Amino acid sequence: MYVDWITWSIWLLGLVILVVWIYVPYKEFKTLLAKHQNKKTSSEKPPTSSGKTT
Amino acid sequence: MTLFDGVIVVVFLIITFFIGIFFYKWVGEPDDFYLAGRQLTPFILAAVITATNVNLYSFVGQAGIAYKHGIAILWQTWTGNMALVFSGLFIIPIMRRLRIRTIPEFLEFRYDKGVRTLVGVLWVFRLAFWLGVVLYTAVVAAQAITGITSFTFWIVVFAFIAIVYTMLGGMWSVAFTDVVQFVFMLGGALIVLPLAMAAVGWMPGLIAQLPPDSLTLVRAEGTYNWKFILAIFLLGIEWASVDQGLLQRAFGAESTRSLAKGMVLAGIITTPFALLWNLPGLAAAVLFPGLENADQAIPTLLANMLPTGILGLVLCGLISSQLSTISGNLNGVATLFTNDIYESLKKRKASDREILFIARTMTLVIGILMVVFAYWVPKMGGAVEAYLTIIGIMDMPLFIVAIFYGLLWKRTTPAAAWAGYLAGALMGIYGKMVLGYDFNMTTFLSAGAALVVTPMVSLLTRPVAVEKIEIVWRARQISDEELASGHIYHIIPRTLKGRLAFASYLVGVVVFLSGVVLGHQGTPLASWVAVSGMVIYFLSALVRIYVE
Repeated sequence: MYVDWITWSIWLLGLVILVVWIYVPYKEFKTLLAKHQNKKTSSEKPPTSSGKTT
Repeated sequence: MTLFDGVIVVVFLIITFFIGIFFYKWVGEPDDFYLAGRQLTPFILAAVITATNVNLYSFVGQAGIAYKHGIAILWQTWTGNMALVFSGLFIIPIMRRLRIRTIPEFLEFRYDKGVRTLVGVLWVFRLAFWLGVVLYTAVVAAQAITGITSFTFWIVVFAFIAIVYTMLGGMWSVAFTDVVQFVFMLGGALIVLPLAMAAVGWMPGLIAQLPPDSLTLVRAEGTYNWKFILAIFLLGIEWASVDQGLLQRAFGAESTRSLAKGMVLAGIITTPFALLWNLPGLAAAVLFPGLENADQAIPTLLANMLPTGILGLVLCGLISSQLSTISGNLNGVATLFTNDIYESLKKRKASDREILFIARTMTLVIGILMVVFAYWVPKMGGAVEAYLTIIGIMDMPLFIVAIFYGLLWKRTTPAAAWAGYLAGALMGIYGKMVLGYDFNMTTFLSAGAALVVTPMVSLLTRPVAVEKIEIVWRARQISDEELASGHIYHIIPRTLKGRLAFASYLVGVVVFLSGVVLGHQGTPLASWVAVSGMVIYFLSALVRIYVE
């Protein structure tokens, strides 16, 4: 069976980029989301008697 | 297009819309809206930059040129990518350190408020017109591929989705919808490439059936010859240094170092990506020769080759490419207006709430203007040609004034910036209107005028106070923000490994340029040398940003 290595090399390179760009931004998004949720939670906490948020 | 394909597209549009509006709650202050809170990481930034830069022009227009003229059009994307890397390593880090949001803001730092406002106003209209052209292209392509021929229907679909999510979530929405859209664009291209190549008998079949010159990258003759590569490389550097749509994303980086990484990665990943849409254009030349309009090459290929369901997925990729460009630039124009016109001209400092309200309102207003321009484009005839000329006339002098003299020569004065910019723009208009020059010559003329007039007027006017200039000059060194965060970036590397990579990068530039110039002899060696130089250039840049 004939394998066109030029076409499949380009395709494979594209596939690697696709996989990396699904995995890494997803991981980075989860970190950002956690950061935003923490920020939201801390800003929603009621102030203590000293007037400071915990 | 079948009903099933239609359902896939509708589901995709709904998902995009909801991802976009999810980020509404993440916008608390103006920097969240303009720059995603300056929290974008390198990989997200690279996807965002790529999604904004790749649009239907790439998939349809550029592949159409490949269909008609051969593979040499690839240099338009490749030199743009090289410029992106150059700018990411050397120019934009300086601006990121100044913590600016727009290029006009940089002009106030370097020159004065007058230059900032002039350029801000001109660019609001320039980008709004560009948005009209982008929307128009999206509608025409959607009509051709889907068979749904209502112009207004597609205008409403594209404009409504992009305006609403950009208005609500600002850059956060733009960034994350861009990442999803980038995945769809790349996925769609990965589906089309093997199907198109199999249909022509893979690479040997393609080579055998195309005219001999079609696969030559650096040519002696023709529209896309070696001189075209040099001209487009120069324009690429200008684009990567002053384009608001691009730079606003870069300014959203979490640090100067992440900015450099993100821009280098964006340049590198778009390079093989460009082959994924240009090779199918060449395959279409074999499979569907003689199409009257070359822009129909990819739509014809898709409509005839893709099975039900797959066509829907590929369509999502094409729609993605356009939506990301529209939303990114829409956010850019709203930022320009609010930051450089509204805030700059207002006497008292506006509250965050007021700025956000203005920015959101402007997104809506510019969105409506975009729709008006999109209806106007078919009545204007050569709208794209007109737009390209505007770039040559307006952008090139800006690059000379802001970047070339602004960053390299302290003696440049605000009066010289005005004079240089106006001289460049007026000479560009003269070249186009009176001398009848083409796009390339108009660009060279406007750049030449700005290059000559700016230093002359600088020497005839009083120098600017040293303290004012020092703010910009200090930004070449690492900032306090970098020292505090530990994310340090040196524009000129300090370590031995970094310097070796830098030297190798320079070798890449020399080899690339030698290959291009060798192209005037028409030797096949020229293409190999130029591509080798480009590969050395990219790999060295990658090593350079990761070794230090």
